[in-house]
Amino acid sequence: MQTIKNKNGIYPLLSILTSIVILVVGLLMAKSTKGLYYLGGIWLLFLLFGYYKACLAIIPFSCVMSGIFCLATYAISKDTNATLSALGRILAVCVAVIPGLGLEPSKLVSNLSTLKAPRVLTLGMMIALSFFPLLVKETKKIREAMKTRGAGSILSPKIFYRAFLLPLVVRLVNISDTLSLSVETRGFEVGDKNFSVYKKVKTKWTDFVFAILFLAITILSVAV
Amino acid sequence: MSAIKLKDINFTYEGMKQKALEDIDFFMEYGELALLSGVSGSGKSTLMNIIAGIIPHVIKGQLSGEIYIDDKNTKGLSMGQICRSVGVVLQNADAQIIQDIVEAEIAFGCENLGMKASDIKESIDTACDRMKLDKTASTRTLSGGQKQRLITASVLAMRQKILILDEPLANLDMQGAKLLMTSLLYLAKSGYAILVIEHRLDSVMDYVDRVWHIEDGNIFMVNDKQKYLLSRAESINDDIGQILGQGNIMSLENVKYKVAKKDILKGIDLQIARGGRTLLMGENGSGKTTLMRLISRLIKPCEGKITQFIDKSLGQKRASKKWFRKVGVVYQNPNYQLFMPTVKKELEFGATSKEYAMEIAERFFLTHLLDRHPQSLSEGQKRLVTIASVVATEPQVLLLDEPTVGQDYQGLKRLMSILNDLHLKSQNTIIATTHDKRCIDALCDNTAIISDGVISACGTKKLAHDFLQRK
Repeated sequence: MQTIKNKNGIYPLLSILTSIVILVVGLLMAKSTKGLYYLGGIWLLFLLFGYYKACLAIIPFSCVMSGIFCLATYAISKDTNATLSALGRILAVCVAVIPGLGLEPSKLVSNLSTLKAPRVLTLGMMIALSFFPLLVKETKKIREAMKTRGAGSILSPKIFYRAFLLPLVVRLVNISDTLSLSVETRGFEVGDKNFSVYKKVKTKWTDFVFAILFLAITILSVAV
Repeated sequence: MSAIKLKDINFTYEGMKQKALEDIDFFMEYGELALLSGVSGSGKSTLMNIIAGIIPHVIKGQLSGEIYIDDKNTKGLSMGQICRSVGVVLQNADAQIIQDIVEAEIAFGCENLGMKASDIKESIDTACDRMKLDKTASTRTLSGGQKQRLITASVLAMRQKILILDEPLANLDMQGAKLLMTSLLYLAKSGYAILVIEHRLDSVMDYVDRVWHIEDGNIFMVNDKQKYLLSRAESINDDIGQILGQGNIMSLENVKYKVAKKDILKGIDLQIARGGRTLLMGENGSGKTTLMRLISRLIKPCEGKITQFIDKSLGQKRASKKWFRKVGVVYQNPNYQLFMPTVKKELEFGATSKEYAMEIAERFFLTHLLDRHPQSLSEGQKRLVTIASVVATEPQVLLLDEPTVGQDYQGLKRLMSILNDLHLKSQNTIIATTHDKRCIDALCDNTAIISDGVISACGTKKLAHDFLQRK
C-alpha cells in the first residue's frame, strides 16, 4: 500500500475537500454522459498532479465493479440510460477515492497539528492508524504461539477463548498501558496548548494551480 | 545542587499489604552515571516510577516521604512539569512507537515541550547521530534493537538533564550496547545525571560511577563497586561439556527468505549437530529470529531446503501438532505463550506426564507459584514458566530466542544449570540466540555467525567470544 502514496501530494485538507466535491458532483451528474466526461477530466488532473500510481491502481477495481453493477442494472431494467447512470455512480466513487489513496495519513495528521487542532485528536488519529497493523501483527504472533504450544484448532471455543482471546486481550491491555505511560513521560498533556509543530504543512503554488483547474473543470461541466 | 534526592520514601501498591519500598533514601548528582541493580521484582521500576512522577499520578498507591528534583520538592507538580526535568526511557520499546517515520517519532516529545522547529531539527540530528539511526526510515520495519534505540533517541532529543533508563540494553547487541553506554557516559561527563536500571552488568560495569543495590524494597549504595559488579558479571561456567551425538539433526541448504522484496536471508547453509548446543549470533536485524522461525517451521523458506533427521514420520514440510512436541519453541516475549488459568495447568498442558510436569516445576523452582495465574507473574517468572512448559513436553530440539532477557544474575545462573542438566539427561539439541556474554559458555558447543543474510563463520565457543570482543 505504501507504494501508491504520493509524496508530494496536494495540501491534505484540500485533497479531502476535492474528494467530497467529486462525490457530490459526480453523483448529481451521473444521469448524463456529461458526468462521465467530468470524471475523466478529474482523473486526468490527478494523473498530472503526481497521483498516477493511485490513478492506475483504481482502474482494475473500477472495471470489475462497474462491470458487475452495469450488468446487474441492465439485466433488471433493460434500460441503457439506467445502466449509464449506474456506471457514472460507480466511477464517481472510484475517482473520489483517488486523493485518499494517495494521501499519507501522517501528512493529514501534521496538517491538522499545523492548524493547531487539539493534540488529543491528532495523537488519537496516529494511534488509531497504527492500531490495525498492530492488531494484525499480534493476532499472527498469538496464532503462531498457539501452534508452538500444541494448542491446535482455533475452531474449538475453549481453545479459542483460552489460547487466543485471552493472550490477545492481555497483550493489548499491556501495550496500551505502556503506550500511555510513554506518551505521558514524553511530555504529552491533555488540553496542553503550548505544543510546537516540527514539520509544518504549507500550501504550495501547485496547490493553487490544482484548485483553480479543479474548480474550472467542475464549473465547466456543471454549467455547459 | 543535587539532581535527585529522595527522603524516607515508603510506598505500597493499591490493594497490596506489603510495602514495595521501605524507608528509601537516594540521591543523584549532576555529572554522574549511576546504576540501579537488583533481582527482578525487587522494586527497581517502582523507584523509577516515583522519581518520574508516574507514581502517584498514574499508578496509585500509598506514598509518603519527600522527593526533590533540582532541590525542588515535586509535591503538587503535574507529570507534565516533572517530565520537563526528568527524561524516562521505559521498557518494551515495541509498544511505544506511535509515528510512522523515525524523525516524527523523535519530534513528538520535543513538540510536546514546545521547542522551536529549528531546535527540534538540531535535536533530531544529534539524537539520530548518537543512536545511529536513519531519520527518514519507516518505524514499521525496524528491528527490536533499532526500536530500542529509537525510543532512547526520542527521549534524548527532549534534552532533559536528568535521564532514567529502564533496561535500555534489553534488545541490543554488543555494538548497540557499547554505543549507548558510550553516549550516556559522554552525556554524564558533560553534566547530565543519568540512572540506568540494568541486568546486563557485564555491559555497563566499565561505564558507571556509582552503584545502588536494591533488595526487598530496601536500597543501599555499594561501596566496592568493582567487587560487586565483577561478582555478577562473570561468565557462567559450562559444567557439562560437549555431548557428542551422531551426525546432524537438521541441515539447511541455501535457505533464502524475503519480506516485501527485502532479502533477510540470502542463502544460509548450516548443519545442526545432533545433541549439540548451537548458538546463533549476529547483530540486531541480521535475521537470527527469522532463521529460528524457519527452523521451527513457523514460516517457510522462499528458496532452499531445510531437512530434518529427527523423525521420519514428521515429514519435511508440515508444522503439525506432533512436530511441535519434538521441536520446542520458546519465544522472545513470554506473554504470547501463556494461556492456562494456573501455572500448574500451564506446565501440564502438553507435558509428557503430570508427574514429569511436577518434576520440571521443582527443577525450575516454580512450586510456590503453582496456583498463581501465569499472567499475574513478573516478566522474569513468566519467562521461566514458558521455558518450563516447553521443556515439559520433552522436545528433542529446543529453540530458545534470547532466553536471558530480564533475568538477574542468580536467575540466569540457575536457568543455565537447569537447561544443561536437562540437556545432559535427555540428550536434546539446543539452538539458542543471545547477546549476553555471560551465558555463552553455558549455551554453546557450536557457534554460527549470521551477517548480511549468510552464515559468515562457524566455530566453537571461542568464536562466540571473539565475535563479542571484536570492534
